[in-house]
Amino acid sequence: MMTGETFLSVAVQAAMGMLLVGMVMVLFRLAKGPGAADRVIAMDLLSVLVVAFLVVLSIHTRKTSYMDVAIAYACIAFLGTIALVRFIHRASVQKQLRQKQKTPARPLPDHSGEKNHD
Amino acid sequence: MPWQIDMIVLFFVILCAVAAITVKDLLSTAILFGAYSFMMCLLWAVMGAVDVAFTEASVGAGVSTVFFVAAVFRTSRRTKD
Repeated sequence: MMTGETFLSVAVQAAMGMLLVGMVMVLFRLAKGPGAADRVIAMDLLSVLVVAFLVVLSIHTRKTSYMDVAIAYACIAFLGTIALVRFIHRASVQKQLRQKQKTPARPLPDHSGEKNHD
Repeated sequence: MPWQIDMIVLFFVILCAVAAITVKDLLSTAILFGAYSFMMCLLWAVMGAVDVAFTEASVGAGVSTVFFVAAVFRTSRRTKD
């Protein structure tokens, strides 16, 4: 029969292993990801995994100071994601504006064609 | 703390660093540098330097990624080399 202590240590080690496997997959997508949006999502997921790993580490070592790191990390990690998303949004808006500036040039040949018909 | 976790996290740090200098898109480089900072923070915490991990989390994850993205937005997104 397993005691509580051994069960906790086995569970903590299993959780650490699973979080490390998750980090491997996220880092694969981060290194390979074709677009910037894939990398932004992967970095956001990586921050969640790191926070979870720090909490598991604080259970493992029984030190509460790791929990402070995890809290500060979770409070700050969204800033980078928001900056990147704003960048991508602004870039797409600028691309749309450029396409809109190009589109008024298209009706002009049509008008000239109508004038030729008249 | 077993040394295996140290080695695995250190491998992740090296992977992020190599990917950050290999990628041509500068925005992706900024993202990968943020991930490098994340893994470095985790490495400090695993090695027991909690205050260094705290500083790395607040400076690396919060401020430096935002500054890099702002710099990429003001300049070019592609590298010339």
